[in-house]
Amino acid sequence: MTGRLRAERLSLGYEDRVVVEALDLDILDGRLTAIVGANACGKSTLLRGLARLLKPRAGQVLLDDRSLTEVATREVSKVLGMLPQTPVAPDGITVGDLVSRGRHPHQGWFRRWNDADEKAVTEALAATGTSDLVNRPIHQLSGGQRQRVWVAMALAQDTELLLLDEPTTFLDISHQVDLLRLLRDLNAQTSKTIVVVLHDLNLACRYVQHVIAMADGRVVTEGPPAEVVTPELVEKVFGLPCVVVPDPVAGTPMVVPLV
Amino acid sequence: MTALRAERAHRSRRTLVVTTVLGAAAFAMFVLSMMWGSVWLSAGEVLGSLLRVTADRGTDFIVLELRLPQATTALTVGLALGVAGTLFQRLLRNPLAAPDFVGVSSGASVAAVAGIVVHGASGFGVSVLAVAGALVSAALMYVLAFRDGLRGYRFILVGIGVSAFMTGVVGYLLTRADLHDARQAMRWLTGSVGLAGPAELRVLMVALVVLVPAAVVLHRQLTALELGDDLARGLGTRVELARFALIALPVVLTGLATAVAGPIMFVALVAGPVAARLLAPATGGVLASGFAGAGLLLVADLVARHVLPAELPTGVVTGAVGAPYLLWLLATANREGVGG
Repeated sequence: MTGRLRAERLSLGYEDRVVVEALDLDILDGRLTAIVGANACGKSTLLRGLARLLKPRAGQVLLDDRSLTEVATREVSKVLGMLPQTPVAPDGITVGDLVSRGRHPHQGWFRRWNDADEKAVTEALAATGTSDLVNRPIHQLSGGQRQRVWVAMALAQDTELLLLDEPTTFLDISHQVDLLRLLRDLNAQTSKTIVVVLHDLNLACRYVQHVIAMADGRVVTEGPPAEVVTPELVEKVFGLPCVVVPDPVAGTPMVVPLV
Repeated sequence: MTALRAERAHRSRRTLVVTTVLGAAAFAMFVLSMMWGSVWLSAGEVLGSLLRVTADRGTDFIVLELRLPQATTALTVGLALGVAGTLFQRLLRNPLAAPDFVGVSSGASVAAVAGIVVHGASGFGVSVLAVAGALVSAALMYVLAFRDGLRGYRFILVGIGVSAFMTGVVGYLLTRADLHDARQAMRWLTGSVGLAGPAELRVLMVALVVLVPAAVVLHRQLTALELGDDLARGLGTRVELARFALIALPVVLTGLATAVAGPIMFVALVAGPVAARLLAPATGGVLASGFAGAGLLLVADLVARHVLPAELPTGVVTGAVGAPYLLWLLATANREGVGG
C-alpha cells in the first residue's frame, strides 16, 4: 500500500549543503507518525521538504501521485497542513483571530467568511481545549496554551494530512505529554494523517504508532516503536549506549542510557 | 452568538467605525484647509464651490484656483504615504520600517532632482523618474538585506544607510544646480505641499484610484505573510509573489507622492501606528492608515501655513512632530521586544 504523501529519491539542502539525499519514504495514511533522530540529522529539513517549504534539489514529493511542484500551492494547502517550528504571532493578535487565519486556503480574494469557516474554527478550538481563550491576546498565554492555539490554527485549515515541526520543543514535560495526547486523540477521532518531528524518543514510543528514525539525512529504519526501537538503533541514530526496557505503564519501549 | 462570532463582529465593527471616523476627520481637515486663509470662508461656501452649486466668482476663484490644489496635494500625498507606511511596517513587522525612513523617499528624490537639474525634466517625467528612483532604491535595499528571508532590522539598517547616501546625493545635485528659486530646493530636501506641480498631482490621483483598492485586496495576503514565510506558504500563499507585490505597491505610492511634494518625512512612519492604536489589535487597516496619513498631513500643512509665524515647508512641521515620536519608538521598541 502506498500513502497519499510520498517522497521519491528526494534530495534537499540549503545553499551548498546537501542535508537529505535520495530519500524514499511513504507516509502511512491515517497514522500518527513521528520522525526522530539526533540534532541536525535532517528531520526538520525532510518535513519542510514534504510540506513543499523547501524545493527538492532532485527527486520529488508526491501528493496523491502528483508532484507537489506541479500542483497549485493553494490546492495543496487544502489537503496538507504544516505547523512550522517558529511561527510568528502578530502583536496583540487574539486567539480567535489567529485560529481563523487557518481558514486562509479556503477563502478566495473576495469570498466572505461563511458557516463552514465558522464550524471549522469552532471545532478546532474545541478539540484543542482553547474555546475559552477566544478573546485573549496570544502573547498573554502560557507556552503550553500557545502551542495548543497554534495546533488549533493548523486544525482549522481542515486538511487530511498535518505535519508538525517539533511542536514540543519549548514545553515542559507535562505540556509535552499533553500535546502528544492531543495529537493521538485527534488521530484516533478523525483519522487524520499526522506526522510530527520529535526530539524525545521515549515520548515518541509512548504516543505514536509509527516511528521513522533518521541519521545523516537517511532513514535508518521505520516501523511501530515496539518493533524498531532497539539498543542497536539508538546507538546508531543517537550514538548513545543504552538498554531498552518496557515502559512500566504502557509497555512501550523505553530508552535508558548506560552512560 | 458564540464567543468566536462575537469576537469577529466586534473587530469588524470597530474597523468600520475607526475607518469612517478617520475618513471623516481627514475630510473635515480637507475642508478646513480651504476655509482658512487671508480670507475666511464658511464650510458651506467651500462645499458649494467644490460641488459647483454656487455662482460666486470670487469664492470660486479662492477655493478652486488658490486653495484646492494645495489641499488636494496634502490629502492625496498623505493618503499615499499612510497606505505605503502601514504596508511596509506590517510586512517587515517593525514600526521603524516606513518607506520615508528607510530610503524609498530619498531614492525617489534623487532621481527626480537629477532629472530636473540635469535634463530639465518636468511634470509626468518627474513622476516616472521618482517612481524609478524609489524602485531602484528599494531593489538595492532588498538585495543588500535579503538573507534567508527578509528580516526587519537588517532591512531598516540598510535602509537608513541608503537614505543617508541618497540625501547626500540630493544635496550635492542641488549645490551643482543653477536654481534661482531656493524654495524649489527646499521641496526636495524637506518636502513641501505648497510647491506641487499639477501634472505630478494628476498622476498621483490616478494611481491612488488603482492602487488603494489593490492594497485593500492584497491585505488578505498580508494577514498570512505576517505569520512567517513558512506558515504563509503552508497556508497556500505564493510568498515571493505576494511579498513582491506588497513591496512594489508602497514603493510606487511613495515614489509618486515624493514626485508631488518631495520627501515628506514621518507621515508614513506615524500614520500606521495611529490607525493601529485605534483599531482592534492586529487587525490592520489599509484605509484607516491612509486616512490617518491624509489627516496628519493636512494638519501639518495648516500648521505650516497659518499657525507658525513664518510659512515653513510642510516637511519641517511633520519632522518636528515625527522626531519625538521616533525617539519614543526607539526607546520603547526593544524593551517591548516587538522588533523583528
